[in-house]
Amino acid sequence: MTSAPERPPLVRRSDRFIAGVCSGLAVHLGLPVNTVRLVMVLASFAGGVGVVFYAWLWIMVPTAYENARRQGRRPASPIAPAVSGAPLTAAGLPSEAHPGGEAGQGPRGRADAGRGTAQAGGGTASGGAGGPGGDGPAVEAARSPWLRLQDMRYGKEILLGVALLLVAGILTVQLLGVDVPLETLIPAAAVLGGASIAWMQLDETRRAGLVDKTKADQAGGWARLAAGLALVVAGVLVMVSGSGSWEQTWLALLASVAVLGGVVLVLLPWGLKFWRDLEAERAGRIRETERAEIAAHLHDSVLQTLALIQRRAANEHDVVRLARAQERELRSWLFDDPGKDAGQLSDRIKAVAAEVEDLLGNAVEVVSVGDTAVTEGHEALIQASREAMLNASRHGGGTVSVYLEVSGARAEVFIKDRGPGFELLHVPEDRLGVRESIIGRMNRHGGSATITSTSDGTEVRLSFPAAQAEKFPPVQPDRVQPATTEGRP
Amino acid sequence: MNSMQGTGNGTPGAGRPVRVVLVDDHAIFRSGLKADLHPSIKVVGEAATVEHAIAVIAQERPDVVLLDVHLPGGLGGGGREVIAGSAALLSSTRFLALSVSDSAEDVVAVIRAGARGYVTKTISGAEITDAVYRVAGGDAVFSPRLAGFVLDAFGTAPADIADDELDKLSARELEVMRLIARGYSYKEVAKELFISIKTVETHVSAVLRKLQLSSRHELTKWAAERRLL
Repeated sequence: MTSAPERPPLVRRSDRFIAGVCSGLAVHLGLPVNTVRLVMVLASFAGGVGVVFYAWLWIMVPTAYENARRQGRRPASPIAPAVSGAPLTAAGLPSEAHPGGEAGQGPRGRADAGRGTAQAGGGTASGGAGGPGGDGPAVEAARSPWLRLQDMRYGKEILLGVALLLVAGILTVQLLGVDVPLETLIPAAAVLGGASIAWMQLDETRRAGLVDKTKADQAGGWARLAAGLALVVAGVLVMVSGSGSWEQTWLALLASVAVLGGVVLVLLPWGLKFWRDLEAERAGRIRETERAEIAAHLHDSVLQTLALIQRRAANEHDVVRLARAQERELRSWLFDDPGKDAGQLSDRIKAVAAEVEDLLGNAVEVVSVGDTAVTEGHEALIQASREAMLNASRHGGGTVSVYLEVSGARAEVFIKDRGPGFELLHVPEDRLGVRESIIGRMNRHGGSATITSTSDGTEVRLSFPAAQAEKFPPVQPDRVQPATTEGRP
Repeated sequence: MNSMQGTGNGTPGAGRPVRVVLVDDHAIFRSGLKADLHPSIKVVGEAATVEHAIAVIAQERPDVVLLDVHLPGGLGGGGREVIAGSAALLSSTRFLALSVSDSAEDVVAVIRAGARGYVTKTISGAEITDAVYRVAGGDAVFSPRLAGFVLDAFGTAPADIADDELDKLSARELEVMRLIARGYSYKEVAKELFISIKTVETHVSAVLRKLQLSSRHELTKWAAERRLL
C-alpha cells in the first residue's frame, strides 16, 4: 500500500449501493464512482476477483462515521477498522503463541479479563476524567516492541503483507520440490491467527470501554472472539490428531473440556473476589481524589475569603461584598454543570449581575425564565441591562431584582430597585447613562426600553423581539463566527 | 383552620403571638434566625434532624414550622420527609421552607410535599417575620425565585379556560407570578394590577394549589431536568 498523505482517507461512504465500498474507493483514488463500480463488476466476472476484493474492503474499511469517531481518539491507520494498538501488555503477553494445550485457554481467560477492565473503564469515565487518563502513561511505557508495531501507520497492513509473503514463499518452495511439513504449519498458523484475532479483540474492548460503545460493535467483538477461539481450538485439534485417530482425539477433547471446566469451577470464585477487590479499590481511589479536590477548592476559596472577612470585619460593605462573591463562586462550583454551554442569555445576564455586584457591593438577584442562545442583537440587551443594574445599584442602594424572561416572541429584562426614584425629565442633558446607554441603545437595535420611577423605587423594562434574532439562523454554540458576519450589515 | 383563631389577617405585629418551631441542622443559623425574628414570634422548639423535627412538631403543634430543605437523618428526604411525617398536623401547622439551595428539584419537591412557601435564607428578619405571619394566616409565600420556577415549569402562556385547569396558570395568575419574579411585594403587585392585596393572596394561593396538586408529569420531569447538581 503506497502511502499517499494528500488523499482523503479510505472510508466507506454513506452514498452507497451495497456497502459504500465503491464510492469510498472512488473518493480515495480520485476517480468517478461509476468507473470504479464498472471495474468492480467487470472484475467480478474474472473468476470472482471483484467479489473477493469487494468483500475484503467491506470487512477492512471502516465507515466514515466509525473513522471520524476513532480519529478523534488517536491517529489510526486509515484502512484498519479497529486495531491501532490499545494496551494489553499489562498481562505480559508472550511474544508468540505456543501451539500447545494451554494456548486454547490463554486467550479466553485474558479476553474475559479484558472485557472486565473495559467495563471498569466505562465506569471511571463517567465517574471522573482522572481514571482512564491515569493508566495511560504507565501502560504506554510497558508496551513491548511487538505491540508497538501495531501503533505504526499501516502496521496491520505490514503484518498482513508479511503473512501473505510467507505463504507465497512456502508455496513457491513447495513447487520447487522441497518438502514442507504443511500438516504442522497450517494448524500452527491457525493457532497463531486465532490467538491474534482474540487479542485484537481485547484491544477493542478496552478502548470501547472508554469511548461510547454501540450494540453493533459489541456483536462484532463477540463474533471476532468466537472466530479466534474456533481457529485456535481447530488448530490445536488438527495438530494433536495428527498422531492419533479421530476417536482418540474426541476423547482427548472431552477430557480436556472436563478438566478446563473443573479448573474454571475452582478458580471462578477466586477470580471474582479478586475482581471485586480491584473494583472496590478503584472506587475508593476515585472518592479519595474527589475529596482531595473538594478540600483544595474549599481551602483556596472559602477559607481565604473567611480570612479576608475577619480582617475587614469593621467594614460592613466589604464583608457583604466578599460574602456575596464567595457565595456566587461556591454556588457555581457546586451546582453548575461544567459541560454546559455558557453562551446562553441567562448566563450572560448572571455574569453581568455578578460584575455589578462586585463593583458596587449591593446584591443583585437574578431570576430567569426560559433561555436562548445569545445573538448579535442580544449584546445590546445585555449591555443595556448592565447599565440599568449599575444605575439601580448606585442610586437604589439596596438589593436589585433582575428578572429575565425569554419566550418565543421576545426576550425581556426587568431591573428593579427600591431607591428614592428619579424623574427622567430632571436628568441633566449631559448625563448619558439612562438616555443613551439604555433607551437609545435598545431603540437602535430594534428593542425598546421603558422606565417607571416612583418614590418606592425604579423599574427599567427592556424588551427585545425574537424575530430580530431569527433573521440570523446560526444560534448554536460557537456564536463568534456568525456574530462577525452579522456585524457588517 | 378552625384551630387557628384570629391569625387570618396576615399583618406582622398584629394578633396573638405566633408559635414557631425552627428546623435547621446549623445551630449558628438557628440562633441567628431567632434573634432576627420579631418579638411577637415565639420560638417554641428547635430541631436539627428529620426524626427530632417530627417529634418536636408533634409535641408542640406549632402554628408555623420554619423548615430547612436539606436535613440530615431519616431516609435522606430532608424537609420533604419532615412534612410527610407530620401529615396529620397539616391542617393546623403550616410549613415554610427555607433554603440556600438554588435547585428547582429541591424547592419544588418540598412545596409539593405541602409547604406553604419558600424563601431563601438570605432574606432579612423583617421579611421573614412577614412571611411567617402570612403563612400562619393561611397564605402562600413566594420568593421571586420560586415564582421564576413556577413560570418556568408551567410555561408563560396562559390557559385558555381559566377556571379548573390544574396544569396551566390563568392569565391573572401569570401576571401576579411575573410581578413577584420581578421583585414586587404583594402590596406593589396589588397596586400595579389595581386589585386588593387579598386578591393577590388568593391568586398566589391558587398557584400554590396548582403547584401542589398538578399531576402533570412534566412538572416533575422539568424539575429533574433543572437539577443543577
